[in-house]
Amino acid sequence: MRAGLAGALRNQTRGNMASERQPMRRSVRGGRPYFFADPATDKVLNMVVTLASEVWALRERVMAMEAIGTTRGTFKSGEVDAYEFPAALEQRLAGERQEFIANLFRILGEQAAEPSKPAAKRKSAGRTKTSAKKKKG
Amino acid sequence: MLELKHDLRLATTRDEQARMNFVSGLRSYVLNDMASGMRAAYDKDVEPAFRRDKRRAPKDGPEVHKAIRSNEYFKFYSSLRVTAQDMVWQSVFPPLERQRGDLKQRAQKLAGSRKLGSLKLDPSLPVPRSVSALDVHLMPGNYDGEYESGDLAAGALYDNGLAVFSFGLMGQNLDDIGQSISRFIKARYPKFKPARILDLGCTIGHNTGSWKDTYPDAQVIGIDVAAPCLRYAHARAQAQSRAVDFEQMNATELRYPDASFDVVFSSMFLHEVPRKDISRVIAEAHRVLKPGGLMLHMELPPNAQLSPYDAFYLDWDSSYNNEPYYKPFRDLVPQLVCKEAGFKSANYVQFVVPSIAWFGEQAVAEAVARQGQVDSDKTGRLADGLQWYCFGAWR
Repeated sequence: MRAGLAGALRNQTRGNMASERQPMRRSVRGGRPYFFADPATDKVLNMVVTLASEVWALRERVMAMEAIGTTRGTFKSGEVDAYEFPAALEQRLAGERQEFIANLFRILGEQAAEPSKPAAKRKSAGRTKTSAKKKKG
Repeated sequence: MLELKHDLRLATTRDEQARMNFVSGLRSYVLNDMASGMRAAYDKDVEPAFRRDKRRAPKDGPEVHKAIRSNEYFKFYSSLRVTAQDMVWQSVFPPLERQRGDLKQRAQKLAGSRKLGSLKLDPSLPVPRSVSALDVHLMPGNYDGEYESGDLAAGALYDNGLAVFSFGLMGQNLDDIGQSISRFIKARYPKFKPARILDLGCTIGHNTGSWKDTYPDAQVIGIDVAAPCLRYAHARAQAQSRAVDFEQMNATELRYPDASFDVVFSSMFLHEVPRKDISRVIAEAHRVLKPGGLMLHMELPPNAQLSPYDAFYLDWDSSYNNEPYYKPFRDLVPQLVCKEAGFKSANYVQFVVPSIAWFGEQAVAEAVARQGQVDSDKTGRLADGLQWYCFGAWR
């Protein structure tokens, strides 16, 4: 019984401590701005970029595992998480990261480099080309 | 990515660090590569269409903004910038939430062992609505969000977030503005020996400490309305062995006697202050400055000194980054604001200071000899080759 009471008291204390430290708010007051005609486009773009960030995190993790693995062959628990890249590898990764990001948005660069045409003409030309391809397929 | 070096820095797992690296890289790509891409789209499509329609070029930033809004590249640039901004803060939350208790202990330990500088909080000070009612820079909780007693988490969020946000362009200690400008002033005015220096709206004191580095004999004080940032600022200064005093105070109502400071400084502050309060801040600076003292505000360059496109480019933040006072500030003529507050027109100064972190010490020395000319597409932009604009007046 006493043990039970002690346990209850301990839980109560823990509860108070938890309520004293509130989790930080992670959402922005007023929300975020949207730019495309359909806000779903902005949302999907956000999802794609978040996914790309996770792909990049995996890439760095694999690099860390390779670096540890090639020098020692085995991993200790937590070693990959604590691993810090040597300067040369860090520099190489920084370059590869910018290439990865540039490649992710490559299509926007291609569009920007297109020769200038009146907007309406370019749009209709694009549509014709796409529909022609679809018909062939 | 930039890694903070002081004792309050957050420990991150490999994956958390990688996500931060990605966000820094994304911001660099958007603010360098995509900024160039958007300019190209403007020159190629947007401006010619405007000219065909109106038979003239856009005359100011708002006209450029209106013309470019329907452009697809603008939409991608903007949507990605907002996404990156969101990811900056989101990348900090997991390690910060995990270490909040530890962070508080580390700050207490520093306060006990270093005994440098001071912290004076005023719980009765009303936090102005320009801070309490919105999340500036889309940072959840803003500068003043508190989640426990004696909280300093908002300061940690800002410090670690700024490290991700700036991808090295604000210096290794996020103090490039303070370092570049204070050293520029010392080199330009070698006989000027300030004894008391005040930094307004100092947040986490990252640029306040630079004045102590440049003028070690001076008393340096940083003020802000946000207690969590000041608690963090005090601990951060102690972690870096800098004797700086921090006080919770509103720059519109300074509790200092007349003629009590030699320098009144601010950085990236006025553009977050409502128009009517800007005049009060400048008037207060005028009041507390000693004769022969210097008021200096590091800021974004005024719209009148930029091309219409560059004015639009900088005003992007006002429309989309929760900075409602940013454009009204940049529409002001700094000379007139200083004059209205009582400064003599002949005493007005304006400088464009190269970033030490980007250009090195020598560039600051060379800039001392030059007049401050605003380089339209470099000044005030957080991108490669950045320069800091500042204006003010001698009392």
